Amino acid sequence: MTASRSGPITVSVPAREEFVHVLRAVAASVASRIPLSFEGIEDLRLAVDEACGRLLAKQGGSTTLTLSLRPSSDRLEAVVTVDALAGGERPPAGIEETLGWRLLTALVDSVTLDDGPSGPSIHLVKLASVPTS
Amino acid sequence: MSGSDERDVTTSLFERLPEDPSAREELVRLFLPLAEYLARRFDRRGEPLDDLVQVASVGLLNAIDRFDLSREVQFSTFAAVTIVGELKRHFRDKGWAIRVPRRLQEVGLRVNAALPELTQELGRSPTIDELAARAEVSPEEVLDALEAVQAYSTTPLEAPVGEEGGAPIDALGSEDSSIEVLDEWASVAPALTSLTERERRVLHLRFFRGLTQSEIAEEIGVSQMHVSRILSQALRTLREQVGGDDAIPEAEPRGSRTER
Repeated sequence: MTASRSGPITVSVPAREEFVHVLRAVAASVASRIPLSFEGIEDLRLAVDEACGRLLAKQGGSTTLTLSLRPSSDRLEAVVTVDALAGGERPPAGIEETLGWRLLTALVDSVTLDDGPSGPSIHLVKLASVPTS
Repeated sequence: MSGSDERDVTTSLFERLPEDPSAREELVRLFLPLAEYLARRFDRRGEPLDDLVQVASVGLLNAIDRFDLSREVQFSTFAAVTIVGELKRHFRDKGWAIRVPRRLQEVGLRVNAALPELTQELGRSPTIDELAARAEVSPEEVLDALEAVQAYSTTPLEAPVGEEGGAPIDALGSEDSSIEVLDEWASVAPALTSLTERERRVLHLRFFRGLTQSEIAEEIGVSQMHVSRILSQALRTLREQVGGDDAIPEAEPRGSRTER
């Protein structure tokens, strides 16, 4: 896989905690191609875990949790989305004030919350920690 | 406490900080839950949680000392970055980055030992749960080991050998300068041409790069059992070619062999 030339890599799992490890694994695997350092990969793995946890905690009625990864030569963008059921809850009032959100800001270079039409999503950006030649 | 309340309270505490020692205690009390939360999230790395909370608390104190109200950033964000930095430094100082792969290697070895046994007993490839039970590790650890192999073995240190069709002896010489090893293999080199490219590659990975059978399996994308068969076949062919057992090692990596 040549990271810089590939499109987004998208994985969907049932919106339940026991499936989060799948997304962690995929994120770590893709992150290793950026290249992120060992520590950077662990950061991203933990950040994906936390982002999933944040969204799952808030979205009782969701059915699908989706991770979309967009690798480029100098960064990895990861978007975690839960679908909100039709007319279901709107997200995460105050999610940005939670302890978990603080962790996210400490682990990745940028973290933003989007409330898109298909459900809330957390957008993470991790910059490559190994200089690209 | 809502976000804006927190900001107001924090700001007034920082304003009082220079002349009021109790402001510092109050800040610690307010943000200790953050330190504890962050410590817990780093917990799965096998350190006692109390130690981690201690490290995180030190990070919090540092954050309080270093925070500058004139910055645009919220204290809680600044504190989280400082605390996570302290936790990571703690793991670096303790050689965590080395210990984790070592633990995963251990798990990998156990799984690797359990795999052929179970495959034989069951007459099929075992499940992760079955492997975990036999290897006496958790299913999550088996998966972590598999993940780790994937995540960390993908940047080759050197270009893969044997795919450009170069002479095998060239490849051998460029990979390892040990005269002893070269001498030993020089007698075998002519026979190497009777091997398939895949057999040469497996031999190379096994004896010159010192990989285990399961690592080779990962690298070339076949099962460990298959690697074992390729190795045996390749060594048998070499023995036949050279006409004796003396020069041909057993299926052990160099270094672990006894004197010939």
